Amino acid sequence: MRRRSFFRVAGATVAASTLVLAGCGDDPKIEPTDTGTVISIGDGENGLLNYVYLLEQLEATFYQKIVDAKPAFLSAAELTAITDLRDHEVIHREFFKQLLGGNAIGTFEFNFSTLTLTTRTGVLEAARLLEDLGVAAYNGAAKLITTKNTLVLLGKIASVEARHAAFIHDLLGIDPFADVVAATGADAGLGPALTPAQVITAAAPFFLPYTIDVSGLPLA
Amino acid sequence: MNILKLLADLAAVDSDSFERISGRRVVLASLGQNGRRAVAAAVPLALSGVLTKAYGRRSSTVLDAFSLALTLEYLESDFYTQALASGLVFPGTTKTVIQAIAKHEQDHVTFLQRTLRESSVEVPQKPKFDFTGSKNATQPALFADVFSNFSTFLKVAQLLEDTGVRAYKGQVENLMTDNDLLEAALRIHAVEARHAAHIRGMRRALGANVRYWVSPLDEDITTAPTAPVYADENAVKQAIVTTTDIILFPLDTATGVVTTTKEKAEQSIREAFDEPMTETVARRIASLFIYA
Repeated sequence: MRRRSFFRVAGATVAASTLVLAGCGDDPKIEPTDTGTVISIGDGENGLLNYVYLLEQLEATFYQKIVDAKPAFLSAAELTAITDLRDHEVIHREFFKQLLGGNAIGTFEFNFSTLTLTTRTGVLEAARLLEDLGVAAYNGAAKLITTKNTLVLLGKIASVEARHAAFIHDLLGIDPFADVVAATGADAGLGPALTPAQVITAAAPFFLPYTIDVSGLPLA
Repeated sequence: MNILKLLADLAAVDSDSFERISGRRVVLASLGQNGRRAVAAAVPLALSGVLTKAYGRRSSTVLDAFSLALTLEYLESDFYTQALASGLVFPGTTKTVIQAIAKHEQDHVTFLQRTLRESSVEVPQKPKFDFTGSKNATQPALFADVFSNFSTFLKVAQLLEDTGVRAYKGQVENLMTDNDLLEAALRIHAVEARHAAHIRGMRRALGANVRYWVSPLDEDITTAPTAPVYADENAVKQAIVTTTDIILFPLDTATGVVTTTKEKAEQSIREAFDEPMTETVARRIASLFIYA
C-alpha cells in the first residue's frame, strides 16, 4: 500500500474535515491550461526523486547560463564561486539521474524570461530564489521518502543547498536570515518547508510552456 | 489482524498515554510495517483517532535523537550567549548576525524541550560548558582565547555549527517513523547549515582560506581532539543502494559529471555532499566543552 492511501485511512478524521473546510477552491492539483503541455512527474518514490532531479536540473542550467555569459558585473572571484555552485548542482543533477536510472525523466530546457539577468542584483536575486526554494523543497520532501538510504542521501545534499543559499545572501549583502528562518511562533528558529505542489507553483514560470503535474506524488 | 484482537491490544496500552499525548502525528510505530498495513485495512475509520492516540507515544529511538539534538543546541546556545556577554569585540556588522544566530539556537532549545516535554520524556538538564576546552581549568585549554580573539571564536563557532549539521543529518534515519519530528529536524538542520556557512563567510572575510561549504581546500583548523568534526567528510563516491545491489556515484564511466579536470571534479564531489555523523562522535565532540 502506498503511503498516500495509508494516510487516507489512518488519518481519516483529520483529512476528511480538512477537505470539507477546504472545499473545492483549494485543490492542490495543477489544472493544465493546455493538455498537450502537461508533464507528469510520476508517483511514489521515483516521482519524488524525479521532482528533486527536476529542481537540480533547473539550478544547474541556471548557473551554467551565468557561467557561459561571464557577465562583467561579477568579479573574477565571484564568477569562480558561481562556477563552483554550477559544479555542485551538475553533480547533484547527475547523481539523481544515476539513482533513477531508467526511471529518470528527460532533460529539460528552462524558461528564464521572467528573470533579469543583465544586472548583478538580478542574477543574484534569481540565484537566491532558486537556492532558498531548493532548501524549502528538500525540507518538505524528506518526510515523503520511504527508503532510509534515499532519505540520508537527500539530507547530504539539502545542507549543501542551504550553504549555497547563505553564500548568495552574503553576496547580496542582505539580512542573512530574513524570510528563511521563522522569528516567532511555534516554529521559531526553523526554516521553511514547502510541499512539492507549492515548490512547483513557485517555479512555474521556469517550466513554460510546460506545466509540471505533481498530483501523483505522496502527500504525507 | 482480527478486529477484536486489535481492541484487546488497545485496552492493554498504557492508559495514561491516552491523556498524555496531544500531538497530531500518525505514528503507529510500535506496530511495524506489516502491522500498520493490517490495521489500515481492518480498522473502521471511526477508530483511527483512538489508534493514533494509543500508538502516538513516540519511540525511544525518536526521542533519543531529540535528546542528542538538545545537548548540541544547549552547547551552541550557551556558546553564543557567553560570547555576547564577554568582552569579545565583534567587528563590523558581525555582532548583529551572531545575535540572530544566538536567538535561533535558543529557539531550537525551546522547541526541543517542548517536544520532549509533550512526549513525557524527562528533559535533559543543561550541562556546564567551558568553551576554552580546559574543563573548568582542570586541563590545558584547546582554545584559550575563544572569547578574547574573534578569529578563535569563529573557528570554534565553525567547528560547533558543522558538527551540528552532521549530527542532525546522522539522526534523520532515526526519525523516519515520525514525519512531524523528521521535518522539524530537517528544518533545524538547514538553519544550522546556514549558520555554518555564514560563520565560514566571516572567516573568509578576515582572510581565512575557507569556503561557505565544506571543501578539501579549506585550511585545517582541527587538532587531534577536534579532528572528528571533519573525519570522513570528504567522500569522493556516494553509495547508491538499490534493491539488488550497491552501485557507486559517480560511476567510473560517468562523463557528464566531469565539467573540468578530473581533480576539480573530485574536489566538487567532495564539496557537493555533506556527510552525516554518528551520535557517538557527536557526543565525543560535545564532551570537549562539557565539564559537569
